[in-house]
Amino acid sequence: MSSHAAGTIDHHHDPSTSTGIPNKKLMMWTFLASDCMFFGALISTHLIYRLHPAPGSPQPKEIFSLELTSFSTFILLMSSLMMALAVTAIQKGNVKSMRWSLLTTIFFGTIFLGCQVYEFVEFATLKNLTLTNSMFGTTFYTLTGTHGIHVAIGVLWLILMYVRSFQPPEGQRTFGWLFKNCLHVSAIVGAVLLSMFAILGVVHTIQTGGTTASYFASHLWMIVGFFATIAVAVSFWRQKTAVNFGEANAIDVESMGLYWHFVDIVWIVIFTAVYLIEYL
Amino acid sequence: MSAPASTVPAHDHSHEASKFQIYVNVAMLLAIITGVEIVGIYLPFAKWIIVTGLVILSVVKFLYVIFYFMHLRWDKPFCTILFFIGLVLASGTVWALLALFSAKDSLPLPT
Repeated sequence: MSSHAAGTIDHHHDPSTSTGIPNKKLMMWTFLASDCMFFGALISTHLIYRLHPAPGSPQPKEIFSLELTSFSTFILLMSSLMMALAVTAIQKGNVKSMRWSLLTTIFFGTIFLGCQVYEFVEFATLKNLTLTNSMFGTTFYTLTGTHGIHVAIGVLWLILMYVRSFQPPEGQRTFGWLFKNCLHVSAIVGAVLLSMFAILGVVHTIQTGGTTASYFASHLWMIVGFFATIAVAVSFWRQKTAVNFGEANAIDVESMGLYWHFVDIVWIVIFTAVYLIEYL
Repeated sequence: MSAPASTVPAHDHSHEASKFQIYVNVAMLLAIITGVEIVGIYLPFAKWIIVTGLVILSVVKFLYVIFYFMHLRWDKPFCTILFFIGLVLASGTVWALLALFSAKDSLPLPT
């Protein structure tokens, strides 16, 4: 655990730096400021080609699914809430609460990515919108794909931080803790993905008029896999040993949180500038 | 392990207890604003009114996230200044590019 008593570190001031701001936080804010310009260039490129579309350009209103995008937006907003709660928890030295909040954020982030993959596949296969067959496709996939990559990096960072929170202290560190906790988190992500595929299978079965028996016959491995991954995740959760993670690591979680919230605010802009505007 | 930060007496963290409530309230507000945006695009108003409304609502959501979820409200002003330098440059670039490509000479020739 941290050497500090819980709730005794001033997380908004660091006297060891000339600015009074922790270096990691300063670095993150500088990076986010530069990333603003990166996304500004991508958004303006998309808007320019939407304002001056080439002849024969596809109609985005006929391609987009507002229901799916609205759901993704809501999911990302809720993930921001859970990320903020994770930062508050670790600032109070509550590692267990931080882990639950991180897991929920990972869960929401994975759902967002799943929705984006589903959207891209549907656009490319059913709506014939590819990266190369129109300027709209090029700018749309570049912008939303870059954002999606940012989300994927954020999810990976969250997973690494979650695994890091199980690291034992120097003297008690055994060889397999990293492997064991990577397996633990892989089981959680696997359970989420399998549950999403199983739910999509239910929707598909209903749409095609299939029976309950046919659903279980074709999705048996998913259901078995789901319960197996849950069992692995729960068995590895029950760790009794002390950990080398606590309130002193709050700045690491906070820096990661800043990145995650930035991904959220970029989506706030994309949702309005790319999606909602098309419905007017 | 990160560099050690300064320590403060426990009573200075009295505002921490209410942060949970603040975050939940902000999240609910953001969800409501998103709902208003979605409903707003179907309202029978002039296009410029709806576009202005959408931009204002997006800016409100943006500011709530950076000042509350990203702690700018409680952090040193230098963080705000640093981020807004990037934000202003990005907004200026977007505005300049849109203005540049809307000029008559920049419009694509009819084919």
